[in-house]
Amino acid sequence: MRQNRCSGIANGTKEWQVRGVSNPFREDLVSRNLPEACTVVIFGATGDLTHRKLIPALYNQAADGELPAGVKIIGFARRNWTDEFFREGLEKLNREVSRTGHDEEVWASLASNIEYHQSEFQDDDGYRRLAERLDAIDQERGGKGNRLFYVASAPEYFDDILLHLKRAGLSDEREGCWSRVIVEKPFGTTLATAQHLNEVVNGTFEEKDTYRIDHYLGKETAQNIMVLRFANAIFEPMWNKQFIDHVQITCAEHLGMEGGRGGYYDQAGALRDMVQNHLLQLLSLVAMEPPTDLSADGVRDEKVKVIRSLRQWDTPELVAENVTRGQYTSGNINGKEVPGYCEEDRVDPESETEAFVAVRCMIDTWRWSGVPFYVRVGKRLPKKATEISIHFKETPSVLFNAAPGGVPDGNVLVIRIQPDEGISFRINSKLPGTTLRMEPVKMDFHYSSSFGKSSPEAYERLLLDAMAGDATLFARRDEVEEAWRFVDNIENAWHESDNPPLMAEFPAGSWGPKEADEMLKSEGRKWRRL
Amino acid sequence: MEEALMSGKISTEGLGMPVEIAAIDGELRKLWEADEASTNASLMNFLVYTEDPHELTANSKMIQKLTREHACRAVLIAMDRKAPKPSVAAWITAHCHLAHGKKSICSEQISFLLSGYSFGRFRNTVFAHLNSDLPLVFWWQGEISDLFEERLYSILDRFIFDSSTWSNPTEGFAKIMEAREQTNDHMVTQDLSWTRSYHYRLAIAGLFDDPAAERSFFEIEEVNIVAQKSQRTSALLLLAWVTEQAGWKTGLELGLTAETNPENGESFLFESKEGRNIVAKITWDDDGAPLSLLSIKSPDCEVKVSRQEGTSHLCQAICTAGHCLNVSGPADADDPEGLVADQLSRGGKNSLFLRMLPRFLKLL
Ligand SMILES: NC(=O)c1ccc[n+]([C@@H]2O[C@H](COP(=O)([O-])OP(=O)(O)OC[C@H]3O[C@@H](n4cnc5c(N)ncnc54)[C@H](OP(=O)(O)O)[C@@H]3O)[C@@H](O)[C@H]2O)c1
Repeated sequence: MRQNRCSGIANGTKEWQVRGVSNPFREDLVSRNLPEACTVVIFGATGDLTHRKLIPALYNQAADGELPAGVKIIGFARRNWTDEFFREGLEKLNREVSRTGHDEEVWASLASNIEYHQSEFQDDDGYRRLAERLDAIDQERGGKGNRLFYVASAPEYFDDILLHLKRAGLSDEREGCWSRVIVEKPFGTTLATAQHLNEVVNGTFEEKDTYRIDHYLGKETAQNIMVLRFANAIFEPMWNKQFIDHVQITCAEHLGMEGGRGGYYDQAGALRDMVQNHLLQLLSLVAMEPPTDLSADGVRDEKVKVIRSLRQWDTPELVAENVTRGQYTSGNINGKEVPGYCEEDRVDPESETEAFVAVRCMIDTWRWSGVPFYVRVGKRLPKKATEISIHFKETPSVLFNAAPGGVPDGNVLVIRIQPDEGISFRINSKLPGTTLRMEPVKMDFHYSSSFGKSSPEAYERLLLDAMAGDATLFARRDEVEEAWRFVDNIENAWHESDNPPLMAEFPAGSWGPKEADEMLKSEGRKWRRL
Repeated sequence: MEEALMSGKISTEGLGMPVEIAAIDGELRKLWEADEASTNASLMNFLVYTEDPHELTANSKMIQKLTREHACRAVLIAMDRKAPKPSVAAWITAHCHLAHGKKSICSEQISFLLSGYSFGRFRNTVFAHLNSDLPLVFWWQGEISDLFEERLYSILDRFIFDSSTWSNPTEGFAKIMEAREQTNDHMVTQDLSWTRSYHYRLAIAGLFDDPAAERSFFEIEEVNIVAQKSQRTSALLLLAWVTEQAGWKTGLELGLTAETNPENGESFLFESKEGRNIVAKITWDDDGAPLSLLSIKSPDCEVKVSRQEGTSHLCQAICTAGHCLNVSGPADADDPEGLVADQLSRGGKNSLFLRMLPRFLKLL
């Protein structure tokens, strides 16, 4: 088992390494890579993400006994806050949102290791002071320390922060101690900007020390895709074009642009905001070949091959045929009147940004040739739900076609990502009675019914993985760039061509524009009703 | 037994509706048909066995709590072996909980009170009331009796017991080892006395990642454990783990013995790979937590995990000359159902326990 914790209370010589052994007490204790003690510096620490997700994630790790001893947290932001004020605000929110509740003792222990660092992102002096502060922390504890920089700012500051970290020498590796960076989404807005950002990131940190967050990969059910496929003998033999008719991936959101979200969203749109990252990640987990091992690169090598094999929709005609974009008009959700997209707060009334997109993805590999993967995502749909459904081919219609009502549709395996995580499988069964009548029935597994314990939040898992140096659930540079290449072609057809495909409309609270239904209907299929 | 039931000497509170044995399946079905709003969930057959009939209601309360996290078909069996006449009584009920504040999720429970002697009845009662295909987890409370025999243990997937409740642990473990052998190690064995020290072990492992502790490892002179006297097997299992992982030879093998005063505790000698002597002491403190201290000392460093009675936290510390690093982490559950729940959540084959069992048996 790997061991190289260098943050400690004494000078950082690593006795285990020197003697070529590993900590014997670790042996056989837990079967995961071990998070190592470090100082976590969060850029954008007064923000929403830090308060709602990151600190509660660290708190829950501490409550579960997973956070290594000696983790320090430094919040970096602009406001003139004291350590005390910063901690009080974090505590208040942790009480509200923490998964495991709020225990005074655990909080006190964590909070004693939280500090605030006031600085502008562009201020050299702020980083110099940060470096001094980090050195002082290490000195105080007698050794050198690992450092984890979490860039949780708006994307326009990513460059600034990374370049300043480099200039202040904070990204340098020091005598066997690591410095790693976690970068929040969005990772670029086009292929060119993502490539630029990758240049900056990799000019500052090595790729092995770079962790690009895609919080969908931290979700329990997303991780379960691999287990479902590769730990059950019944699925993998059928997981191909011979048995699967098509796959649908849906990410529906009933909310619109509340809470000022319109400002960011109207710049991005559904394709960039959700498809480029989360949905293509899910698609690659469903479609990838079995990896040779479960190492970060073993898994990511296979995922990137899927994204690279996506057929490119690179002309306006191909985009019109394979992609539907739409905006919602005013409507009614849960008995409440809601405005149309262009009337939403902070959205340009003339906006050409899609709040819904449906894409037919074709993966040109031996396994998936001819099997469409339909991906759709949208705001103001009837409910919040993310799921993947695998639609199996129908049986040859020779035996039961004379039965009243015929044979119902084929088998469907559904992996529900959120909410109500679980797996269900639709099979056809005979209705009781003297005639041969068939109806589909559902075998259903709900995580929450069977496992009363709540799963760790995605950010809990991801933070621990970054501390442990395990990048399996983070996006690699080539994955990100290949996904942008696919998305850019579609964006270009929409925004750069002379004959851009139409923007469809749908009433808020419905399941998207009828053009999206047509896309499947023309092939004799339909979207799954969620 | 009827008399005991009638006179209220054996409580049946919370066991639910009395049913004829032959009607159990039908009555369970009716129970679900009558309640369309609830979901019957089950991940395993969970069998709890006791030879103390008075434990039946307490076990039902435990299942009520346990099913919050572990949906199962619970089968509670209490055996009154001293009763003169053989008889059987059964009850059914369901424990329901709101999952995440929404759906009502229920686990069904069948309770049996078996009295007197009737050949094969216990085993057959178990066989007849399992959900097929789901794993069978068997929690045996108290001493392992002669009812623990091949035809029973060959169908178990997980066997849970607490060696700290046994009057003769050597004998108890011999039965368990034999069962493992007979089942080709198929049956996973879980001792709650081992589960009791899980967070101690995790904390020690974490603390020894620190460079100060790392260096001190090669100079360790003393190991101290403080525990309640009733937790002797928990303390010895923990000591077996520390010394097995560290690769120390036991003094017993080397013909070395330490002075022991059984009233206050026990002492053992070990020898490190480098030939250093290490003294390990276990001290009894019935006023403290079940396990209240594990300290590993070298001349310049003490690595210490401790717990105060009544708290749910472990204090973890590394102290070197002039400086201490202190953190707190979660402690293990005190009550058996908490330990069982943790054990079920962790799953696994418990291979570490098996690996250090031979050493533990020597220390025993
Ligand atoms: N919120 C979420 O749930 C969520 C979910 C997924 C991804 N993300 C991503 O996470 C990132 C942050 O989101 P957020 O919601 O936390 O943003 P936010 O609430 O707007 O917070 C922005 C943070 O950046 C700081 N900041 C802005 N300009 C600065 C400057 N010039 N110098 C120093 N500090 C400056 C702010 O500090 P002051 O307050 O001191 O000005 C604040 O701490 C974004 O990339 C977002 O896409 C967020």
